Amino acid sequence: MANAWYLIIGNPVLNVLIALSHLLGGEFGWAIIVLTIIIRLISWPLTKRQLKSTKAMQEMQPKIQELQKKYGKNQQKLQQEMMRLYKEAGVNPLGCLWPMLIQFPIWIALYQAIMRALATTPENLLDLAQRLYSWDVVSQAIPLSSYFLGLDLASPGNIILAILVGGTMWVQQKMTQAPAVDPRQESTSRMMLLMMPLMFGFLTFMFPSGLALYWAVSNIIGIVTQYFVTGGWGYLKFSSPFQRTSVKGR
Amino acid sequence: MKKPRILFLVVIALLPLMLISCGLFGGGSVSGGWAGTTFGNGIIYTGTRDGRVVAINASTRSQQWDYIINAAIYTTPIVDGDLVYVGTYSGRLLALNTLARSQNLTFPQKGDGEWEWDCPTDNAKSNAIVANLAMSENALYVASSNGRIYSLDKGTGDENWKREDIPVLAEKLWTSPVIQGDALYVSTFEGHIYALSVETGELLDWSFGSEAGFASSPVIDGDVIYVGSFDRHLYAVEIGDEELIWRFPQEKPAGNWYWASPIVNAGVVYAGCLDGKLYAINGTTGEEIWSYMTKDQQDKRSPIVSSPVLMGNLLIVANEAGTVYVFDVTAENGNEGVPLKTISIDADVKSSFCAYDGLVYVRSEGDSVYAVDIDKGGAAEGWPISLTTEE
Repeated sequence: MANAWYLIIGNPVLNVLIALSHLLGGEFGWAIIVLTIIIRLISWPLTKRQLKSTKAMQEMQPKIQELQKKYGKNQQKLQQEMMRLYKEAGVNPLGCLWPMLIQFPIWIALYQAIMRALATTPENLLDLAQRLYSWDVVSQAIPLSSYFLGLDLASPGNIILAILVGGTMWVQQKMTQAPAVDPRQESTSRMMLLMMPLMFGFLTFMFPSGLALYWAVSNIIGIVTQYFVTGGWGYLKFSSPFQRTSVKGR
Repeated sequence: MKKPRILFLVVIALLPLMLISCGLFGGGSVSGGWAGTTFGNGIIYTGTRDGRVVAINASTRSQQWDYIINAAIYTTPIVDGDLVYVGTYSGRLLALNTLARSQNLTFPQKGDGEWEWDCPTDNAKSNAIVANLAMSENALYVASSNGRIYSLDKGTGDENWKREDIPVLAEKLWTSPVIQGDALYVSTFEGHIYALSVETGELLDWSFGSEAGFASSPVIDGDVIYVGSFDRHLYAVEIGDEELIWRFPQEKPAGNWYWASPIVNAGVVYAGCLDGKLYAINGTTGEEIWSYMTKDQQDKRSPIVSSPVLMGNLLIVANEAGTVYVFDVTAENGNEGVPLKTISIDADVKSSFCAYDGLVYVRSEGDSVYAVDIDKGGAAEGWPISLTTEE
């Protein structure tokens, strides 16, 4: 299984990253940024579907809130009515999971590629020899420098990147998360809104800075595309306490 | 509403899943060390993956002593009289006295000439010592992962060079320096060969630059430096000249890097490659004389990680799969690249090895020392010796 993984995902990501690094003047950090953009472009059809779904969900909010008010005490009926509403609008409420799940193997491949490409130990460097393609751009790029804009891309524990990743993730989530009328749902939503950025912030702190750079850039691209596709900051405006009160009071 | 809860569960599941996946699929940092073997005064010295320097009596095949360092050891110990020098991945260089270690005395026994030296980090990421040490009559030369080379007094461990005079040669130095006359030559991953004064450590006028980085330590024969490159070529460079003499292969590159240092004998360069081939190259012209593909037990190619060794007229090379090949470099068949003998020890070999009195001492990745009897064509009686400590 491991061999198939390296053949299909691990080694291609590694070699593309190294080749990009050479083409970008030996800067591994730029290679990660460009690879992030490439990955976002490849996954654009999925992202577009997700954003459209998000926009549709946003537009459906008044109807959803109406249903919540109407069937608030009958959860089963509320679920049925909401599913009917989603079906009618052609929206999959779990559609936003796919881009995240698809990125999952890319995260693992990228983590491995960063660790292998930067070859922090002699064993890593020797192992790298068996994974490289016979492209000239690859052999000319080796070994790579792990430094980029004052960051050591091979080392974990960068607090600034951790805050950046957590912060951008919170903004991205906040833009799409509709306020709920039901207090129980509201508390779950609020917990999720906090948990995910905190978790990714923690992961960023634990993993090499190169992976954190990928997450940060990916989130920023996500925010920008979301802004333009959905036409604004979405539910980010509800972040102020004043606006939250006004929503609840509606 | 189920959606936030499902999302929440997915996110919660993501953290351990990611950590486990990254661990399962590898890619993390591993540093176990691959110290080779050295023979001196009837004793074989090596380092283990659990961070010990071990001395084995070759005739009794018993462990004479071991000293726990608790750090990975990549350097092959070198012996000078009663002292054994070894560098560690934690950036320490130790001079161990064989008698003091046999008696398990507290380290360092200064009266017995023992000392230790800590390599400065000097704002670099690491001060690890990975490259083999170079030794002259009075000094040891240490290449450090901080990108500098240090000269130490063999007797005291005192630094011979002023620190402010020592140049940073690379982001990290994992290749060994070589002494030739009054100069020290070192190749770098960034594609340079530098010459330093052995007296002061200052850079000499001559240096050589290449587009690709150098993967192996240099070897010098006469005025010519032979060094393996990451661009899958072997380079021949004349000291004092900025132009390359030759690059091998001349057309299509080899299948992988020349990671191990080549050796030179009678004008022929013998270079093991990570593509599994041993190449014999005319040292003057850079033309291939012969090549031989080494294999593993399943008849698949296996990389050559360690340097070949000469024992009289016999050239000995081992691949990673633990197959040892013996070539006669003087015989006619030696020129055709046909091995006299092929001996399998069936263990992974990445370390350099030594040959003495008809036996080749190889340390495997599983921390066993094998003695290969070249005449007999197999493992010598009573070997291998396991270096692992029992719980």
